[in-house]
Amino acid sequence: MYKFDVIVIGGGHAGAEAAFSIDRAGLSCALITIDQSKVGQMSCNPAIGGLGKSHIVREIDAMGGLMAIATDMSGIQYRTLNTRKGDAVQALRVQCDRDLYKKAVQKILNKTSIEIIGDEVVDLIIEKNSVQGVITKTNRYLCKKTILTTGTFLNGKMYTGKDVIRGGRAGEQPSIPLSEKLYGLKLPMGRLKTGTPARIKLSSIDTSKMEDQPGDVPTPWMSISNPPKQHQIQLSCFITRTNKKTHEIIKNNIHLSAMYSGEIKGIGPRYCPSIEDKIYKFQNKDSHQIFIEPEGIKKNLVYPNGISTSLPKEAQAEFISSIKGMENSEITEYGYAVEYDFVDPRSLEKTLQLNSLNNLYLAGQINGTTGYEEAAAQGLIAGINASNNIKKQDDFVLDRSESYIGVMIDDLTSHGITEPYRMFTSRAEHRLLLSQNNAQQRLLMKARKIGMVDKETETKFLENEKEYKSFVEQTLKKTKTNSFINKKNTKIKLNENKSLYKLLSRNDVEEKRLFKTNQTNEKHYQRAITEVKYAGYIAKQLREINKTKKQNNKKIPENINYKDISGLSNEVREKLINNKPKTIGGANQIEGITPAALNLILIHIKKSELLKENA
Amino acid sequence: MSVVFALATPPAKSAICVYRVSGNGCLDGLEGLFGHQDFSPRMFHLADMKNGEQLVDRVGLIVFKGPNSYTGEDSFEVYAHGSLGVMSLVSDAFINSGFSEASPGEFTKRAFLNNKISLNEAESLSDLIDSTSSSEVFLSGSSLFGDLSGRLAEYSDRVNSIRMRVEAEIDFSDEDEDFMDDELFFDLCKVKEDFESFVSLCANKRDVSQKKNILLVGPTNSGKSSIFNRLVGYERAIVTNQPGTTRDMISSEAFFEKSVFSISDTAGMRKTDDVVEEKGIEMSLSHISEVDLVLGVFENYEKNIMSFLKKTCKSNKFISVQNKTDINEADVKRYDCCVSAKTGDGFKELRQKISNCFSVSDTRNEIGFMVRDRHVKIFVSVTENLEQAIQGLSNKKTLELVAEDLKNARSELDELIGKKFSDSLLGDIFSSFCIGK
Repeated sequence: MYKFDVIVIGGGHAGAEAAFSIDRAGLSCALITIDQSKVGQMSCNPAIGGLGKSHIVREIDAMGGLMAIATDMSGIQYRTLNTRKGDAVQALRVQCDRDLYKKAVQKILNKTSIEIIGDEVVDLIIEKNSVQGVITKTNRYLCKKTILTTGTFLNGKMYTGKDVIRGGRAGEQPSIPLSEKLYGLKLPMGRLKTGTPARIKLSSIDTSKMEDQPGDVPTPWMSISNPPKQHQIQLSCFITRTNKKTHEIIKNNIHLSAMYSGEIKGIGPRYCPSIEDKIYKFQNKDSHQIFIEPEGIKKNLVYPNGISTSLPKEAQAEFISSIKGMENSEITEYGYAVEYDFVDPRSLEKTLQLNSLNNLYLAGQINGTTGYEEAAAQGLIAGINASNNIKKQDDFVLDRSESYIGVMIDDLTSHGITEPYRMFTSRAEHRLLLSQNNAQQRLLMKARKIGMVDKETETKFLENEKEYKSFVEQTLKKTKTNSFINKKNTKIKLNENKSLYKLLSRNDVEEKRLFKTNQTNEKHYQRAITEVKYAGYIAKQLREINKTKKQNNKKIPENINYKDISGLSNEVREKLINNKPKTIGGANQIEGITPAALNLILIHIKKSELLKENA
Repeated sequence: MSVVFALATPPAKSAICVYRVSGNGCLDGLEGLFGHQDFSPRMFHLADMKNGEQLVDRVGLIVFKGPNSYTGEDSFEVYAHGSLGVMSLVSDAFINSGFSEASPGEFTKRAFLNNKISLNEAESLSDLIDSTSSSEVFLSGSSLFGDLSGRLAEYSDRVNSIRMRVEAEIDFSDEDEDFMDDELFFDLCKVKEDFESFVSLCANKRDVSQKKNILLVGPTNSGKSSIFNRLVGYERAIVTNQPGTTRDMISSEAFFEKSVFSISDTAGMRKTDDVVEEKGIEMSLSHISEVDLVLGVFENYEKNIMSFLKKTCKSNKFISVQNKTDINEADVKRYDCCVSAKTGDGFKELRQKISNCFSVSDTRNEIGFMVRDRHVKIFVSVTENLEQAIQGLSNKKTLELVAEDLKNARSELDELIGKKFSDSLLGDIFSSFCIGK
């Protein structure tokens, strides 16, 4: 009866990852997208990873996803950020060749049994409050689950000065019939905006006037589980700056900017402001950095990160030419602001299924997030849950304490968003547990259990773990010494022999000189150092996690009458009555519920129990 | 609920002890205990309490009819004489009446269950709730002594503004901004320093509520015991005009100037052949180093003893007192304080002087905060976290650990105030710095 188990609508990062996970689960899947050639397209800047985001990419990688591998197949500059800080907050950022990345994604998907269909979905088949399939311009497909990953297509509008074009991405048509269908479902919606800078010909800028930023040597890999054999040719990025003249030009034209003329009502991301915003809000700064990212190895194009704008074309050209090294810029495409609707993610379950309509999952920018990594992660989770549900397996929900993906989905579904959501390490309260380097330790076996990771990767992982364990137990714990070199290069004598492992916990030990590593044990040694350094903090975090879990799991009796609890404000009471939380944890997640209110509930429960006992 | 009883006053010798009995049906036991009499509620009755046939004590009795009682149940209170013997007899009588001893917090628990007290009133309710941490914070912002919570919030904000910069340095290190200037380190040190002095205010008040030990020493027959009795408020020490009357050390509590003091009387200082007295003197001298304040009592100026005491007390606080100004002239030049234990002259001043020795040295006359042990524990932990953060910043320890220390410090403060951990961090970063490409 069903043509496919799952249909994924949209071929962006969420769609690709969703389809790929369904295929790994051994189910049949179709990916329907208007333009097949655009599958895996990077629509913003050509980089994957970065602070808070590489963590997500590594988590996807640990669960068998494709993003890290595609990144490595197309990476043209690798740079580790936060190197002077600890392991938990270090992040790898990779500049990709935009075309190679897309090709890599398509190559990976083409090796699977996913059917990629170039068509436009115009309608959903809905029966008894359940999505049963999709209708395209040319066909009709029944399926058990549908995953919608359509990005910014909902009522998308692009602004360049006073020009307004309907659409979600330059040169692409928005899907109007499907968006009308979604509006018909009366889902709670909000409006967001984002922007892009102009694209400039590499040959027209003078990079010799700019600061050169080469990548890491040796070149690392994004994928831990399955990197390709060879890196692409590595390139540099460049740094230049705006100046007083640039700011003057922008100030003189700011009234023409779509964002300042009152045309745009959506809320933009504060961490990704337009150049107009930066100059208007931080008037004391007379210069802003611009990061010149190459678009590809053979591409005569750069992405000037830092000057996204919705000024009219002439003004864009004028201010760009005032920047050092960009005086003769040839602009191939002008910057614009995009405004689009999103579905309030609070209308989703943690599986990313809509709670008001069965068998329909939403993933990616449609849920109010921004970033390829955030989108891909949602695609993966939606895909896994759709598959698990078909196979009658448990929901796959990651905890906040075990992954950034868990943090993101919990944030989205519990609190909703007020601006495009992107990941920051500070969003994760258990950040120290979540390093980009321990994603496999956290998630691989979990993903293996549901078939997301193959046997070979599992074996490789387990061998590595065994090797690490033996390195710690046999080498670090058994090698003892009665002296070490401290950070000030002085030899410190100890009263008794101590193991290297024990010595690592001292703040003054110069780790590099305590133990001479070789190629095989270098990564193990680094891991052990981190493990020892974080030990106290991690123990504390684990205690906290257990404590919260215990409290959060406390059940709220179904027959609780919130009107009986004195001390609750009317607002809080109403929210509790409407939301009917099943546990204290559930109540805690309702916006506006204070710890004081939680305590009143806890005490009320305890009181009822005591009264029952004493009756 | 079953009938329970408990001693409401400390289980120590005192003038009066108070027993509380609560539980429905407890009034049925009145006749057996106190005989046939009309004990109308909320009136003070004098009654003879009996355990079977045996007279226990002549006691005061007040009956409360539920729900108009502390626990909301029928209950009564017994005021008996405060000797340990009487106490054990009263307990026996209750047990023989079928009452059982209350477990800790039982009365408060009953009061709470019967809606007699609200949560904010029920300090001891933490026993009721077996959860820890935030759920122990019964006191919402407003009820936590208002001002204290305001002060804690101020520190929470200061910690947060520093953490904000540290977090920005972690999450936006690829940005073109200087999040952590040199001042940050000094700001952090200042926060810790200020917090510590704030805590010392709290601790001071707390210490005040704990007993301060005062020792009376001086030449024999200078009237130490008379002064002792006056300070304590009743005759505890035997007073005669025979030198060397007080041979052992006697201690008692005194309450004045809003504080509780433990005052000890000692044997006088003189050459003695009496072995018992010699021991007493040795003891009193050995106590000098352990007490908080020494009162040197003299009738006649004895230079040797005075200078010996001043030297021995060293860092200990010392007040020299001239006694018997009723028969001798007051010598204000030589003594800190001149009194007459016989007439009470000068005692107001003496009490004031004693109290001044313990008041907060801070002359800004700042209000101290009454805090409980739980608060003090958290204060200590906050200070430790701040110290660790300072160490981390100065050692260039991994910055994410500094952030963690600051986060912990802040969440502990917020826990005390009862505020939910807010997500204002990123908002603060975005409004303070130009972030984003």
